[in-house]
Amino acid sequence: MKRALFLTSVVTALLLFTGCSQKSVEVEPQEPTAGQPQAQEVTEGSDLKSISEMGEGLTEDQKMALMKRIEREAKKIYFDFDKYNIRPDQVPRVDYDAQLFNRPEAKPFRIKVEGNCDEWGSDEYNYALGLKRAKSVRDALVARGVEGERLTIISYGESNPVCTEHTQECWAKNRRVEFELIP
Amino acid sequence: MKRVFLLVLLTLGLSASDLTLEIVKEVGNEPKIAVENGTTGVESRLDKKFFKLIIGDLTVTSHFNVDDKERRVNFDDAIDQIAYRDKEYLLRYKLFYDDRGRLGARVFLFDLAQNRRIFEKSYTVSDRQRYPFIAHKIVYDINKVLNFPDVSFLRSFVIFSKYTGAKRADIVVSDYTLTYQKTIVSGGLNLFPKWASKEQRAFYYTDMSGEKPTLYRVDLYQGTRKKIISSPGMLVCSDVSEDGKQLLLTMAPGMQPDIYLYDLPSGRLERVTYYRGIDVNGNFTEGGRKIVFVSDRLGYPTIFAKEVDSRAVERLVYHGRNNSSCTTSGNYVVYSSRETNNAFGRNTFNLYLISTTSDYIRRLTANGVNIFPRFAPDGETLLFIKEYANQTGLGVLRLRYNKSYIYPLYTGKIQSIDW
Repeated sequence: MKRALFLTSVVTALLLFTGCSQKSVEVEPQEPTAGQPQAQEVTEGSDLKSISEMGEGLTEDQKMALMKRIEREAKKIYFDFDKYNIRPDQVPRVDYDAQLFNRPEAKPFRIKVEGNCDEWGSDEYNYALGLKRAKSVRDALVARGVEGERLTIISYGESNPVCTEHTQECWAKNRRVEFELIP
Repeated sequence: MKRVFLLVLLTLGLSASDLTLEIVKEVGNEPKIAVENGTTGVESRLDKKFFKLIIGDLTVTSHFNVDDKERRVNFDDAIDQIAYRDKEYLLRYKLFYDDRGRLGARVFLFDLAQNRRIFEKSYTVSDRQRYPFIAHKIVYDINKVLNFPDVSFLRSFVIFSKYTGAKRADIVVSDYTLTYQKTIVSGGLNLFPKWASKEQRAFYYTDMSGEKPTLYRVDLYQGTRKKIISSPGMLVCSDVSEDGKQLLLTMAPGMQPDIYLYDLPSGRLERVTYYRGIDVNGNFTEGGRKIVFVSDRLGYPTIFAKEVDSRAVERLVYHGRNNSSCTTSGNYVVYSSRETNNAFGRNTFNLYLISTTSDYIRRLTANGVNIFPRFAPDGETLLFIKEYANQTGLGVLRLRYNKSYIYPLYTGKIQSIDW
């Protein structure tokens, strides 16, 4: 029995390390057959936590790689010029991010929600605009079940552009919220 | 007829006392001045830049009609008075290196009408990079000798943050033309520098490199840094009171950008604005009795005022649909107003001057992107950044004289500036 338990743990850990954490194998419970006595529930192993859920067991490099993978997978949320409300076309992206941050492998991490702006009219107001964008996304994630305690917000104003050309299209890419995971 | 004349005089007198009124100065009243350069043994690049600085400084005082032709002479030669029959003053200078390799300047100011030297002085700097301050001091001194209105702004430092990369910005101290530059804080994202007092011996800035934005005070002459306060989300020191004891901060402890008053001696923090949207850019006005700030409580940013202890908010600006930054001096407020929704037009942000005690509005700029207005300590001179036709310039506006000067700027993208 102990050997089986050990093997199960190793398999779970291997699945996690090989990046297949989204896949899971569930064994359908056997339907009780009529006439047979009530089956005893076997509880051994039901409380086992995978190492990712405990947030332990990963080396620093593995943890870093996992954080970067989640950051890459997260979808950036884009905003209209001068606005900080979430556009209807961005709602599915917020849904996706909420589901992503609620996955077991993401749960040990805190998330920095970073608000960004385009370069037009840079000053205090731009930083406040970035903060309000971060707050809008943070509130939307909380409404979708991400724990508020895991989320911090910050504004980088126009200091962190992803595109530096002087065009409308480029500026639209900079008016965004993105995420950084914190161990 | 006499009454009409008196009325005109009174109107002119009124104009001169209220900077929000357009002042049309008569051209050509200022004394004409010529400049002679007797420099020897100094790199030609420095020599040329120094002459340009002298001409620029004389011009920006608005107290001279400056002949900008460069005349090379031997410093000790006699003055050719016939050549300057139409001038009132002659400024002659000589740049040189002394025995210890220090950069020095000898200067005299000659009154052509009285046919005598009315000012003579020598200057030196230990670090040749600080040569712009010699030029500024020379012009400051001759302006003072002639009893013209004070031009201390020439000698004031400017402090600014400039972007060096994504999430990276350094804090730099410079002269008012941004010719001399010394980086004070580098590495990480360092934003919103603000002088701690008129003496310009210390400044505040926001360090964004940690998890929470943190406000520090840096003593420039001791090279020390002291943490003042931190806040999640954002933190900006927007203004410092006259006595240097109180700060107006924009911060967001509850994730909402609001304005707070921080009392340095007691460490007490008092919330000044309460609004679910954006309140930023608090500035003391009317001797600290009121605070002027930017808020989007109408659905777009514009300028409001309130008393610290009162909940009542007063709208100050009824013009424009996007006035997102302001600065104050005494009862005056200068704000930048976005004139169009087309970011790629030729006239996008202009500066306007108002007074909290009158209804006048004066437009200060006419084209381009004019941002970061900052008053000099004299309250009559305004510094701003101008972007026009893909070029960036440093603007100096002499409000009393209705004149502005633009210097080309080669510093990269400026995040914030204080004078």
